[in-house]
Amino acid sequence: MGDEQKTVPLSVDGRSIEAPPGTLLIEACKSVGIEVPSFCYYPGLSLQAACRMCLVEIEKTPKLQTACTVIVQPGMVVRTSTPQVHAARKAMLEFLLTNHPLDCPVCDKGGECELQDMVFRYGAAESRFAEEKEHQPEQRFSSVVYFDYPRCILCFRCVRVCDEAMDVKALGVGQRGVRSTIIPNRPDGTLECEECGMCIDICPVGALTSHQYRYKTRPWEMKYVGTPCAHCGDGCKTTLNIRNNQILRGNNRDKTGINGEFLCIKGRYGGDFVHHPERLRQPLVRRHGRLEPATWEEGLDLVAHRLKEITVSAGPDRIGFLGSNRTTNEENYLLQRFARTVIGTNNIDHHRTADYAALVAALGGDTTAFAASGDLARTAAILLIGSDPTHNHPLLAYNIRAAGRLHDARLYVINAREIKLRRQADRFVQVPAGQEAAAVEALLGAAPDLPPDARQELDKVRAALEKESDVIVLFGAEMWGRGVKRLVEFGQKLAGKTRYIALGDYANSRGAADMGVLPDLLPGYGPLTDATLRKKWEQLWNSSLPATPGLNARQMFEPGRLRGLYVVGANPVKTFKLAHTRDGLGAPELLVVQELFLTETAQLADVVLPAASAYEKDGTLTNTCGELQRLRRPLEPVGARSDFEILRLLSYALGKPIPWRTPEAAFEEIRQQVPGYQVSLASLLVGEATRTAPGDGRHADKAAETSPGLIFSSDDSLFTSGTLGRFSEMLNSVPERKLPRSQL
Amino acid sequence: MASILREMGETAVTLAKGFSVTLRTLFRPTVTENYPDEPVRFEARYRGIHVLHRDESGLEKCVACFLCAAACPVQCIYIEADENTAERRISASERYAKVYNIDYSRCIFCGYCVEACPTDAITHGHGFELATYNIADMVYRKEQLLAQALKPPRT
Repeated sequence: MGDEQKTVPLSVDGRSIEAPPGTLLIEACKSVGIEVPSFCYYPGLSLQAACRMCLVEIEKTPKLQTACTVIVQPGMVVRTSTPQVHAARKAMLEFLLTNHPLDCPVCDKGGECELQDMVFRYGAAESRFAEEKEHQPEQRFSSVVYFDYPRCILCFRCVRVCDEAMDVKALGVGQRGVRSTIIPNRPDGTLECEECGMCIDICPVGALTSHQYRYKTRPWEMKYVGTPCAHCGDGCKTTLNIRNNQILRGNNRDKTGINGEFLCIKGRYGGDFVHHPERLRQPLVRRHGRLEPATWEEGLDLVAHRLKEITVSAGPDRIGFLGSNRTTNEENYLLQRFARTVIGTNNIDHHRTADYAALVAALGGDTTAFAASGDLARTAAILLIGSDPTHNHPLLAYNIRAAGRLHDARLYVINAREIKLRRQADRFVQVPAGQEAAAVEALLGAAPDLPPDARQELDKVRAALEKESDVIVLFGAEMWGRGVKRLVEFGQKLAGKTRYIALGDYANSRGAADMGVLPDLLPGYGPLTDATLRKKWEQLWNSSLPATPGLNARQMFEPGRLRGLYVVGANPVKTFKLAHTRDGLGAPELLVVQELFLTETAQLADVVLPAASAYEKDGTLTNTCGELQRLRRPLEPVGARSDFEILRLLSYALGKPIPWRTPEAAFEEIRQQVPGYQVSLASLLVGEATRTAPGDGRHADKAAETSPGLIFSSDDSLFTSGTLGRFSEMLNSVPERKLPRSQL
Repeated sequence: MASILREMGETAVTLAKGFSVTLRTLFRPTVTENYPDEPVRFEARYRGIHVLHRDESGLEKCVACFLCAAACPVQCIYIEADENTAERRISASERYAKVYNIDYSRCIFCGYCVEACPTDAITHGHGFELATYNIADMVYRKEQLLAQALKPPRT
């Protein structure tokens, strides 16, 4: 980097420090460990200078200055700890407390309140104001957000985070002067928003509090466990606040993890599905046509016995496995090994929500072309084709907005719907539904059958993209198979560097594909038809592998194909929109389901085995960008067992034991054997997100073409999350759930 | 001979000294507690089994702020908080203690909880009869600690 900018020298409290030009004084002080207190200043948000807590003395300026708005100048002499500054801080706190109710014993913020901390540190606990405080009753803004007017110190962090970072603009300031108050966007005094809870977490006092945590406990009474969120494919780290083996809320105030402090409603409050009363706590076995509770021994013995029976009488290829996009990498890896070696079939697939296999094949071994979620902030331009990140990928949508707002990145959107991100887009091209692939053809210069105005717009997008130095392309389930290949061809034609993110729906969609829960690909996307590759895995697992690709998810449900169907953490009746009968699933004589709840599919099963959720087990998850994170097992399962343990026990019952005792043992093999997963254990263990980059380039030409109908998004909204979302009390309680998407 | 006389004199003096104490104490008020036949008297600040108080209208004073549990050096206080509703009002504030347990097998009667309480909801009472054959009985629930209402709570 030759064009490194010179730094600005200045003096703070007698120390000579240096800061890059344009740095705010408050940030410059912070960088050398000098704390300047503030309420309204918040990194990444616009400046407010409302709270006056950050007043400092600057030589040659007559009055105290707000450090949050002053930009460092060469030779500036700053003092942050003079009697005048101390007096100013104390006076500001006294003003803030004039109408603050000091109901700390009742307030949910007590113990983690910035105002409390400031008063402890800077004084002003005794007030000279004798006037009666103005009381107003607490308002319930929504089923998530509560607002207590007297506690508010008018820092407007909530208003700014809602407007700027979230682009929701649901909170505003009403009235003027001392009467100023935070008002929600609906005339009846309630909120209509994304219910993300950012305003609650960013509030320095207890003015905005959450329903879920309301009057439950105290910050020091809880255990804090930072673990990847169990819901969408973005892999945000949520710090679960736990007391008595119960999740009370999630947040990420330490700003670690790929998401910083961002979380959506699912990450913050959607963890409550774990405690739903309908969670399965013991195995169910069908007797006389009814599912009845059974012991684990009965359940596992029955499954093993029937699987063996079918394998012997009809052959292993009459059994099929449907994997999950929520289970861990280790469980997916174990499942495909179980299907391929213990049973001996390649009939294994899952609900694919993005065509990762096509992307890896199209990239032909270029492992530098995967973008991570954080790269969005440092790119020059973003091209988004299909999907609706605001709903399906809240973190990526947040990062896309931040890229434009803070780093001047250009955004180009091609979509069939008027998605919300069009508001940030430099160019928004609306194409007819299902024509996203045609739009890519237009970008490549062909003349597909598209409306003329869309084609014109696409020409402009192409012209703009050709000038960009660095482009990240995001695409949803609308792009699959050949479409992805053509998209990568377009990307390779661009002058700048092009990286890609395939947008898959659930917590481990990417992991399921990476681990080879696919009928035609082995872990790491190696084709089954490659004999040398097969040999490698055969030697490793000390077992022969069936050579012919198996049935895909659609084929498994065709009548008469399978005699036994084994479903792990999936609900095909709902996702594949099948008839809610055994015939709808292709009339298998044995149906086994490992699941958290009695889903539509589980209701039809012969044996239901209760599984542990992602918050109750060990393992790793790979987010949709390929970032690997470790689960921290915040809770202990009650009655349920992890999918890993269930499959392992079954392998013993079937007489072909898989020897991994723990998920860690399986992960060690993944780390050694699966291409792209050679990650540093140290960073994984300390809770960092580690990039994976599958595809070693040797099999690019052999990669299988995707059949139509296999790649589709379940099209969840912000307030739904497949099976898990249906059992979350908080997600079900928000009224916005029923609104059409476009209204948010 | 002289030594015998001196010995007798000394014995007489010693007896007189000793019995003078007995005689003096005979007319003083008694300090022996006739427990359990008679009730025990306490100094006002004796730290016995805690009492959770109610306000004038019969509502519980405790707002479940958890400060007693935080101050407790032996972690013997366990609280679960909940929200008052219009139909079912337990405390005068928005929140109340749904569960309030003190484990007397741990409590050291230091009185920090009483000092920490911002609403004067908890004080030490004069109860001390904690002996039991079952250690689980040493955990006192809110219902056991709560003062009797002077009049039934308004609802």
